[in-house]
Amino acid sequence: MKLEVLLLKLSEGMLVSVEIFTLTLLFSLPLGLFVAFGRMSKNPLLRNIIKIYISIMRGTPLILQLMVVYFGPYYIFGLPTPHRFLAVIIGFVLNYAAYFAEIYRAGIESMPLGQYEAAKVLGYNKTQTFIKIILPQVIKRILPPVTNEVITLVKDTSLAFVISVPEMFTAAKAIASAQASMLPFVGAGIFYYIFNYIVAFVMEWVEKKFSYFR
Amino acid sequence: MGKKLFLVLLALILVLSMTACSSTNEQPGATEPGESTETTEPEESTEATGSTESGSVETVVPGKFTVGFDQNFPPMGFVGDDGEFTGFDLELAAEVADRLGLELALQPIAWDAKDMELSTKNIDCIWNGFTINGREDKYTWTEPYMSNNQVFVVRADSGITSLADLAGKTVIVQVDSSAEAALAERPDLVDTFGEYLTAADYNSALMDLEAGAVDAVAMDDTVANYQIEKRGSKFVVLEEKLAAEDYGVGFLLGNEALRDAVQSTLEEMAADGTMAKISEKWFGKDITTIGK
Repeated sequence: MKLEVLLLKLSEGMLVSVEIFTLTLLFSLPLGLFVAFGRMSKNPLLRNIIKIYISIMRGTPLILQLMVVYFGPYYIFGLPTPHRFLAVIIGFVLNYAAYFAEIYRAGIESMPLGQYEAAKVLGYNKTQTFIKIILPQVIKRILPPVTNEVITLVKDTSLAFVISVPEMFTAAKAIASAQASMLPFVGAGIFYYIFNYIVAFVMEWVEKKFSYFR
Repeated sequence: MGKKLFLVLLALILVLSMTACSSTNEQPGATEPGESTETTEPEESTEATGSTESGSVETVVPGKFTVGFDQNFPPMGFVGDDGEFTGFDLELAAEVADRLGLELALQPIAWDAKDMELSTKNIDCIWNGFTINGREDKYTWTEPYMSNNQVFVVRADSGITSLADLAGKTVIVQVDSSAEAALAERPDLVDTFGEYLTAADYNSALMDLEAGAVDAVAMDDTVANYQIEKRGSKFVVLEEKLAAEDYGVGFLLGNEALRDAVQSTLEEMAADGTMAKISEKWFGKDITTIGK
């Protein structure tokens, strides 16, 4: 196999990985915020439901969650299976939202009570206080752990093949077995590294943008 | 400032998703309506009639013959030098689909999930050096189209020449493979092994062997021969076989209509010499057994 073909195949796989990555972040980052609100809710019913959800998402492997999302509808309810790629996105979003929610909660709960009191004195209502005063500081504080999760997400995309969505690592494995060669794995490693390097670079830049008051 | 961050993230996401979306329609699992005039929703196939103008047989995606296979299984089904799927079994499947007037759809699957893929009606059949022996009652099978042996592959310089030499050695096998099933029938032999491991696929098993971490790999000899050729004969196959068995095409239990259609097409191909031609191309001789 020519090197161009190998790189082309890996790039095709990488595109699928990037799709999973992008769509997961697009939905799980906002969803995580709402999950965090639920987790901190004064309503014990809502709070406990969210607690159970987070506990299941963190307590079971993502690979198993993907299988449940994809095969579950058929085996549990007798419905046709969802589209493979859709199932991957749902599985990833549900899992990552749980992790992001806990990061958001850590950030929100670290805010001193005095800020809420000061905002109240200044006539801000609850929504204004959160959006204008609390959230910007929260985002600033949680960027490092969010970067961690985002980088883990890039590498987790390789789990998608469990429901036959062929992402980059699957392509590397297939070529390695057809060619009896280690080269595809080296290529896969480089692809992941470059992508994560870009992710880390962007996140560092965002962090710098937020480092006002310093 | 929150607004700015939002814009930055949004821009990033947009850029990424634009590059991403361009390829969504290349998903092998993606559904396109068949060529037939009366198309039903492709994924809603459980109750779909599936009758198309072109093919008279019912398949999971109307108008298409969806073949599930392990893409890490050369020479039966794998990624060829040009990056496209190729292999002996896939070429047979292509010919069968063609003769049935169906479009061939190749769906690489995770081997451990093959039963789920089949029973959730995502694939029509498993056609991938699929061993019948030990699985007779789990699938609806065609007649065996070629025979195969389960063998042990060892390093050429290991000094292992017989099954007895495997005593105290580390043996590895692909998870859920027929080699694993064959070894389950031979507890006496397995008991002599020093260690008995399973690998996710043959390639990692052979990497283990090459690295010296294991002493023998139990696998199909068709695949073993291909790998030995590719790797430059660093390995040898033990003369003494583990088990003799047959390859067939496996359909969902009870799907006799499609099985019969494929079966008679295979017989037709054997009769007019197409089968022998494909076999010669891949194995240098006609090793198929159907219609003989």
